[in-house]
Amino acid sequence: MTLQLAFDVVLIVTLVTCAWAALTAPDLLRSVVLFIAFGLLLSFVWVRLQAPDVALAEAAVGSGLTGALLLSTLNVMRQKEAQIAQESTDAARESESEQEVAVAQDS
Amino acid sequence: MSAFFQLAALFLLLNVGAGLLRILRGRTTADRLLAVQLFGTTGTAILILLSLATGESAYQTIALVFAILAGVLGIVFARYGQPSAPASAQSQELKHELN
Amino acid sequence: MSLIDLITILLIGAGCFFFLAGTLGLLRLPDVFTRSHAITKADNVGLMLIMLAAALQVETWATRFKLGLIWILTLTASATVAHLIGRAALNAEQKPWEEST
Repeated sequence: MTLQLAFDVVLIVTLVTCAWAALTAPDLLRSVVLFIAFGLLLSFVWVRLQAPDVALAEAAVGSGLTGALLLSTLNVMRQKEAQIAQESTDAARESESEQEVAVAQDS
Repeated sequence: MSAFFQLAALFLLLNVGAGLLRILRGRTTADRLLAVQLFGTTGTAILILLSLATGESAYQTIALVFAILAGVLGIVFARYGQPSAPASAQSQELKHELN
Repeated sequence: MSLIDLITILLIGAGCFFFLAGTLGLLRLPDVFTRSHAITKADNVGLMLIMLAAALQVETWATRFKLGLIWILTLTASATVAHLIGRAALNAEQKPWEEST
């Protein structure tokens, strides 16, 4: 009985630490990895609550599938951001060269 | 006997808590993903021990899902997780083929 | 306490020791490559020992087959993942750790 209580207490402390760290992480990639770890720990909580079917769904969908989708989404976001940054620097260069041409024509 | 299984499960859960430290501290994302791998393997062992302690065989199925999950997550991470890893990996493979 | 229970306790104790070694390696070793080495080897041996103990305790052969399946899956997955993470870390141009003299 005491052993089960100790197990639950350690589980809760780890779970809450993991959730807090995922919420306050400085970048999104770290947050996603912490979210995956949080899902694994949460499925232990469902096991301790004697709901093995919910634990199964949490491990497969809540942690695995959502984690994989979030990682893939982050990759798409990063590519878009790089593309936008590239386009803006290109536009800046073009406007600079146009100005130089205009200055040369004036003189 | 059941108490011994519980004790071993508690010990492994403390191991998981120590692995969480590495996720919090780890410098690179690859370090963090390795800690998640530790969660997967240790979690499988904890579930087996809990199924022995309680006699519930459904927990073994969850252990099977954990084992599959760790592999899927690692492969997805290697494909998408690192900053610009896929592009450089492809270019290096191309270089190998050219040589 | 029967002989089978004694062997089970010994196997689980040894398995916990290997898990502890893996966790210590994850916390103490200096970079990704050495850490992946600790994780993939020590933890899989620990899991094998615990699976053997569980196989002694369960009744049916179907359950033993399931336990063996879990172990083989974990082994394959962790070997593949360690290789992939190592290659991704090399491609991201992390320098492998060298002993400073």
